[in-house]
Amino acid sequence: MSIIEFKNVSKYYNDTPVIQNFSMKMDSGERVAILGPSGCGKTTVLRLLAGFTSPDSGEIIINNQIVAAEGKIIKEPEERNLGMVFQDLALWPHLSVKGNLEFGLRAKRVQKIKREKYIPEMLKLMQMEKSIHAKPAELSGGQQQRVALARALILHPEILIMDEPLSSLDQDLNVQLRKEILKLHNKIGFALLYVTHDREEAFDIGSRIIVMKDGKVERIGSSEEIKKHFD
Amino acid sequence: MKNFIYIIIAICIIIAGIFFWSKTNEGGKSSVVVVYVSEDQVFSEPVLKAFEKATGIKVKAVYDTEESKSTGAMNRLIAEKNNPQADVYWANEPIRAEVLKQRGISAPYFSPVAEGIPKNFKDPKGYWTGFSARARVFVVNKNVEKKPTSVIAYTEPQWKGKAVIANPLFGTTTTQMAALFSIWGDKRAEDFMNEIKNNKTKISSSNGESADLVASGEFDFSLVDSDDAINRSRQGKPVEMVYPDQGINEIGCLIVPNATVFINGAPHSANAKKLIDYLLSKETEKKLAFADCAQIPLHSGVDTPPELKRINQLKTMKINYGEVARKLQEIQPILKNWVGY
Amino acid sequence: MNKKVFFIFVVICFVVIGILPILFMLAKSVNVDGRFSLYFYKNFMNSSREWTLIRNSFTLSFLTTLFTTIIGLPLGILFAKTDLPFKKLFTVLFTIPLLIPPYITAISWFDLLGREGLLSKILNPATAEITSKWLFGLPGCVLILFSTFLPVIILLTITFLKTINPRLEEAGKLVSGWPGVLKGITIPLIMPGLLLASILVFLLTLGEFGVPTFLRYDVFPVESFTQFSAFYNFGAATAAAAPLVIITFIVLVIERIFLREKTYQLHPAVGGDKSSKINLGAYRKWFLIIVILLCFCIIILPFFVLLFHSLSVDVYKEALSRAGDSLFRSVAYAAVGASALSVLGFFLGYLIHSKTFRFWRAVDSLTIFLFALSGTIIGIGLINLWNRSATNFIYATPLIIIFGYLAQYTALTSRITVSTLAQIPSSMEEAAQVSGAKWMRRITLITAPMAKRGLIAGWLVGYIFCLRDMGVTMLVYPPGHDTLPVRIFTLMANGSTELIAALCVIMIIATLLPLGIGGILFKLRGFLK
Repeated sequence: MSIIEFKNVSKYYNDTPVIQNFSMKMDSGERVAILGPSGCGKTTVLRLLAGFTSPDSGEIIINNQIVAAEGKIIKEPEERNLGMVFQDLALWPHLSVKGNLEFGLRAKRVQKIKREKYIPEMLKLMQMEKSIHAKPAELSGGQQQRVALARALILHPEILIMDEPLSSLDQDLNVQLRKEILKLHNKIGFALLYVTHDREEAFDIGSRIIVMKDGKVERIGSSEEIKKHFD
Repeated sequence: MKNFIYIIIAICIIIAGIFFWSKTNEGGKSSVVVVYVSEDQVFSEPVLKAFEKATGIKVKAVYDTEESKSTGAMNRLIAEKNNPQADVYWANEPIRAEVLKQRGISAPYFSPVAEGIPKNFKDPKGYWTGFSARARVFVVNKNVEKKPTSVIAYTEPQWKGKAVIANPLFGTTTTQMAALFSIWGDKRAEDFMNEIKNNKTKISSSNGESADLVASGEFDFSLVDSDDAINRSRQGKPVEMVYPDQGINEIGCLIVPNATVFINGAPHSANAKKLIDYLLSKETEKKLAFADCAQIPLHSGVDTPPELKRINQLKTMKINYGEVARKLQEIQPILKNWVGY
Repeated sequence: MNKKVFFIFVVICFVVIGILPILFMLAKSVNVDGRFSLYFYKNFMNSSREWTLIRNSFTLSFLTTLFTTIIGLPLGILFAKTDLPFKKLFTVLFTIPLLIPPYITAISWFDLLGREGLLSKILNPATAEITSKWLFGLPGCVLILFSTFLPVIILLTITFLKTINPRLEEAGKLVSGWPGVLKGITIPLIMPGLLLASILVFLLTLGEFGVPTFLRYDVFPVESFTQFSAFYNFGAATAAAAPLVIITFIVLVIERIFLREKTYQLHPAVGGDKSSKINLGAYRKWFLIIVILLCFCIIILPFFVLLFHSLSVDVYKEALSRAGDSLFRSVAYAAVGASALSVLGFFLGYLIHSKTFRFWRAVDSLTIFLFALSGTIIGIGLINLWNRSATNFIYATPLIIIFGYLAQYTALTSRITVSTLAQIPSSMEEAAQVSGAKWMRRITLITAPMAKRGLIAGWLVGYIFCLRDMGVTMLVYPPGHDTLPVRIFTLMANGSTELIAALCVIMIIATLLPLGIGGILFKLRGFLK
């Protein structure tokens, strides 16, 4: 059963199409990578899914519920139960690591006893338990990635969206974190929608890959099929 | 440290909030009186403070400054007609009190304290009562040998280009002109004004400036308020004060008293009457006589400083202030035209 | 609560407090005995005097704008881009006149150049005679408003210079010396910003009434004040105010059309702080001397004249007994006003920044319009609107003063908020959104704390402008609730000059003290980190 579905979604900015008739489906627990050059509309797909913008036409369905359709947002982002890692990570600089993780839990009115349990657990999973009281600015690039990931996962979302999260890291760290993301996926089992312009990253993370160009789907297939095509 | 500034801001807000609250709820209605004041704050405030001390009634005041032409108090009284905030208006001249009477903003009150004040300084129907007065006098430079004795001096060739008068669109100079219109009739008064102009008389922006111009010797004399003249001479400036038109067949000198006005619908009417009684008392008149404003008491038998003549030693202009007030509004276009506006 | 509903509520607050009084006044002025009529306007326009006044107002505004721009631009460049010594100190010193009510600067000059000023004692009365004549009139007004609004140009020039990408200048520097780069690249790049600053000075001068009243130079705002006061005719007073409203409006529309898109967002350029400084070399000494001289003449000298003039314990005792309570009130109202301004300005700024409504631009323009409008006009409008028995809880309490502050000064805090929010990535709030936080939570827990510096700066600016306000307060303060600037103004009539000087010194200290403390706190925090 599909957890995410885009039905003929189009989006325009000042009359120029950013994505056109975009359709796709994604099953729960699946890993999908969207691959394409910058400006192809892949980030717009994520923003539509998260609910930051509304589609000008078409429907977006999450968990069999229409969340946005025909220029209207039906479910606000805070009601969609998604996890998201932003390109710039968007760690709140005025809050500690703990504060960053706690924010969502408080918003969802999770009791204090449970919060005190979940946060160290999650940090342990990320091997970040020592930095619980640090501010984001005091962490290294890799550590910040882990905190952003921890923050996205702490509410146990069914869907995790990642918007080029590793693009600013050096090659070694990039490879290492990809492995960690896959490990986490195996362990927790969320549906992962991963956007990147890097083929290697896409082939590593996605079991299925959507190649986008000029706001349209150019090709969809398993990572092997796509790899073959590029070769 | 992080929240330090927040805390400071919060404390500020709380202090201010408490202050607000305490100020607006102060003592309830029974012990407050609200007065709008057109007499200079420097002189009126000590009197009001003394009233507070003597009676325990808290005085809340709105002051304005005639000097800066910002007659806020009068305007507020008119704007607030349907919802009066003030109990008493302390006018610095009776014309404004007359305007309030004509507009139905004031109510009659005959103060028992005012019985000793001469009839012509009171409204016959009790809408205002005069006290401590200024006189319209000449301030003359000491180096001038032959002093002017009548307002006619403005039109005499010997004073050509040597006299000053304040802009007649504002303040007591307007009152002066209106009084002349009322006593001489329109024709003669208008001719008089034109002759002033033809005699190359300087028009200054205020009585204060006129007095300064005479003190510095740039001009020989000017018609000003008595406090302007006394003030300059107390500062040791080379000026003298001359009461104009004191001769047998002359019109006398214009007296401009302060006036108390009881506001129609005053929220604290009992306290308002107490304040009016206090302002009209001999003590207040004495205080204002010895203060820097050197105002002439209207009660007989009040001590005065040596440089001040008593009211019964003066020949005063016989006018009806109500009529002057009407004239004043009537001649506005003439005055505007005269000044060149 | 729904986000849109809340922001509609914020906009309604703003409209009721700021716009409604003005509309109400306009409505009243075209209503003669219950019928629509332009009688007051016709009457007003037929008078030759009004044209003289308009000419006077324009002359004053034009000269003030000209001088502040010509002198403020080089000073801004000197303070922002060169190795001039003590430039931070100079920036602070030159800002002081903007922070105090301009008529206090006028008093200090009067104490220096007036007929009985310091000059007459040092030199001779004849010289003082000449300087006094010169002070009372156009030259004096220009001098005082020049020193008051000079910091507007200096500070905005410094701010706009920081938004230039230093690479652009460096590219020019490869082929030309600094004079060429400044002339060919830097100044053209900040030109839209500079024009905006000049327009602001022009409008602020146009609306100023305290200084021209004191120095007896007849200008338009004084006239509407006089119309309101001397002849007790509210319709006529509004008609008298109308040209000023219209001129302000037209200038702002022109500004919006031609400049706004170019200067709208103020992002500090990446690496802006590291941009290369101009080495003044041998000229450094001469520039320093010129700046010191100017600073001495227009800032230090007048202030010391005030100090010198009031130098006695008795005078200060009298001053405090005369005005101690109003000083306390001033500080309290300014604190409350600044807090209210911070809240309203923050939400309006957020609305403008996030373009929540299609009419966000109108909200932005209207705040600026009110800021540039003469306080007299806003004051008259407030009386007209709120003086009725049902709204006594507003009109008869200090709330009316706070309303006045909000009507006049919201642009300050909303603009500061807009430029602060522009620096916060939108992903910060989006991240909070996917974490499940509703909008109020996002704003209060994420956006507001991240905009903390801007909020504090906004509060301080709001505090200063509330504290120095006279135009609105003078007209609306409830009995017994006058503030220090109003008290000084009313005591000026026949008050001794020593007393007034002492009150002015107290006023200046009350303004600068919180700024000093704020500055030290900021420094301390940087130091502890």
